[in-house]
Amino acid sequence: MESRLEQQPVNYKISCTGLSKSFGNNNNKVDVLATMDLHVKENEFLVILGPGQSGKSTLFRIMAGMETPSTGTVTIDGKKVTGPGPEIGFVFQRYTLFPWKTVLGNVEMGPKLRGLAKNERREVAQHYIDLVGLKGFENHYPHQLSGGMKQRVSIARAYANNPKIMLLDEPFGQLDAQTRILMEQETIRIWEAEKRTVCFVTNNIEEAVYLGDRIVTLDGKLPGKLSHVYEVDLPRPRDFTDLEFLKLRQKITDESQLVL
Amino acid sequence: MATTEVNKTPEIVQPKPSTISNLFKNIWFLYALSVVGFLTLWDIAAVTKITGEFLPRPVEVLYQLVDMFLNPLAGKTLLTHLWFSLRRVLIAFVIAVAIGVPIGVFMGINKYFRAFFKPVFDLFKPMPPIAWISLAILWFGINETSKIFIIVIGAVVPCIINSFNGIRLVDESLYDAARMLGANKRQELIEVTFPASFPAIFAGIQISLSMAWTTVLAAELVGAREGMGFIIIMGMNTSKPAMIIGGMVVIALTAWLISVSVSYLERWICPWKVDLNNNQ
Amino acid sequence: MENSKDRLILKILPYLGILAVLVIWELIVDLGIVPNTLLASPIQVVKLFFIKLNTADPDGAVLAVHIATSLKEALLGYSLALIIGIPLGLAMGWFVIVEGLARPIFEMIRPIPPVAWIPLAIFWFGIGLTGKAFIIWASGVVPCVINSFVGVRMTNPTFIRMARTYGASDWEIFKQICIPSALPMVFGGLQVALAASWTALVAAELIAADTGLGFLITMGRRLLMPDMIVLGMLMVGLTGVVIGVIVDKVEKRLVAGVRR
Repeated sequence: MESRLEQQPVNYKISCTGLSKSFGNNNNKVDVLATMDLHVKENEFLVILGPGQSGKSTLFRIMAGMETPSTGTVTIDGKKVTGPGPEIGFVFQRYTLFPWKTVLGNVEMGPKLRGLAKNERREVAQHYIDLVGLKGFENHYPHQLSGGMKQRVSIARAYANNPKIMLLDEPFGQLDAQTRILMEQETIRIWEAEKRTVCFVTNNIEEAVYLGDRIVTLDGKLPGKLSHVYEVDLPRPRDFTDLEFLKLRQKITDESQLVL
Repeated sequence: MATTEVNKTPEIVQPKPSTISNLFKNIWFLYALSVVGFLTLWDIAAVTKITGEFLPRPVEVLYQLVDMFLNPLAGKTLLTHLWFSLRRVLIAFVIAVAIGVPIGVFMGINKYFRAFFKPVFDLFKPMPPIAWISLAILWFGINETSKIFIIVIGAVVPCIINSFNGIRLVDESLYDAARMLGANKRQELIEVTFPASFPAIFAGIQISLSMAWTTVLAAELVGAREGMGFIIIMGMNTSKPAMIIGGMVVIALTAWLISVSVSYLERWICPWKVDLNNNQ
Repeated sequence: MENSKDRLILKILPYLGILAVLVIWELIVDLGIVPNTLLASPIQVVKLFFIKLNTADPDGAVLAVHIATSLKEALLGYSLALIIGIPLGLAMGWFVIVEGLARPIFEMIRPIPPVAWIPLAIFWFGIGLTGKAFIIWASGVVPCVINSFVGVRMTNPTFIRMARTYGASDWEIFKQICIPSALPMVFGGLQVALAASWTALVAAELIAADTGLGFLITMGRRLLMPDMIVLGMLMVGLTGVVIGVIVDKVEKRLVAGVRR
């Protein structure tokens, strides 16, 4: 164990090594992820870009510990991930808020599970509700909120647990285009206010270029494997119509082969 | 952002010709027509005795109801009879919920208990509670215990089924969400399983209550000296169809009141339930 | 290894459950914990079952006759409930005039528990086949109407609007769109109606009958023969399950493609 730890480069927050995943039994096996390595630096905003059915959600569920890989390991700060836990904040595509809890109740769920006293967790929750811009909606139930607001709650809920890492799985996939752009700006604002290591899955190239420090693309067919890596050093806040922005967007579009 | 003013389209006012055909498209008019028509046909049928001797006129039923309300029947007025039935239902209902919900919940969360108990329950389930009446009378005699026993049998089944299904059908991703927030097994149960399955359990309790109301009548039909079932069997034995129908009216009204008040209770207990229908 | 052992236990437990109930039941009777006048042991019930296969005494008919009587009453009432309830419910869902005229009456009758119809049914139709068929009809027709009504009401409004733009008449929309999309709900109602009918039948036979499974149970009580009561109860349960399975099979065949 000790020797393995030393092999890990110090500056990597997340390391996936030799990761692969297949479902089903021997007769009827589906390979979802081909063997891959992926490393994420501390406080980096990594975007994983790939079309539907490219194994990106599976990769994410493995990183979060919700799924065990067929081979390989995921380590966070050099420690192997063995199951889901509060050191990772996860934002689901389908919101997955607790419908019986108010906004406040949802956001303070993490602190509550950790056993924080009532006034402490209320304070934490309020801080993140304010951060995501939902002040005044503390006592609303999820069904009373719009899609964008639900996803804000989901982000606040993940942040309130003070995770080392945030994993966002196509969080804005169900939003309309305008709300989506707004939420992308908000994501960057929140991230810059409280930096975390962020991995963000999307199928939208523009969103990837707008958000990421680095973009990793997956091939569009199973089993999923990494194809290209792009470093994005455009200054923030980024402009969707900036020439560099458009060039990079074009480059990624050209290089990703969509297999239909 | 500058919002452009949306041109208000002038409301199209169509003058409604007040013809007969339009009247027949008005739902409230039809409702009224239906009730009036129903009562009229009933009255005509009763007066002409076209369906035999045993159909009283609606007014006779009303008189009978007033009479039962004011004057005691077999020593008790209508409200006392109603109270006797309701008391049996409530006692049995509380027992059934206290037994059924824990069994169902435990079946939902423990696979060993489920494997052991489910087939036994599946054997027990298809027997109508009313089929237990004879055995109950044999065991306890014709008294309160045997009636309450039968009602418990009837009311416990929906409690078990719904609690069990409610827990099995909890959205799996909610568990993922709770685990990602650091929930352990016990916390998953308290924070996710119970609240998420609550609406289904509550629905089971609702069904169980109306089941109890049906079963109490059956139990009282077979042997009782008081209660709503006794009133209608009394009407049968003394050849007073007005008493039977009067009893049925009170029974139906009570059933309706029970279901209305339970659904109000539900809205009050889980205000978030709307979500189940609206969310995907 | 742990897993396969677990699976074995889970496979055995269901049989163990039923076996345990039978053994305990047999023992409490044999050891006299519950006197034989109050409860018959499983073995006694099985013995009586074979006796009743060809002996009419002491209740006046062999088992097959009881079952046939009950089945005849149940099927007559049940099919009448379907024939009247389903078309009525479907029409109530689509035609304003049918809903307006039928709904208030239906709402008045709906909360009456089927058992409460028994005295009136005996008055009107006697204790023979007609009386019981009426009680079964009254209990079966309610779920048929409700499910057909709700089924039509839940038709996707887009389909209806689409049909209107194609110029379909009200009747055609009802026939081509509302009825097919209501079918799954209608068939769901069949099972509910069946359970309700079967319960009502037993109630009706307990109060007034000269043959039938409910009558068998009553005779068991009058003759103080607990084995006959238990046999009657088991036959009621078993026959109920068998009809349920048949209805389910028929339904699956009829709506092979429609079931959601």
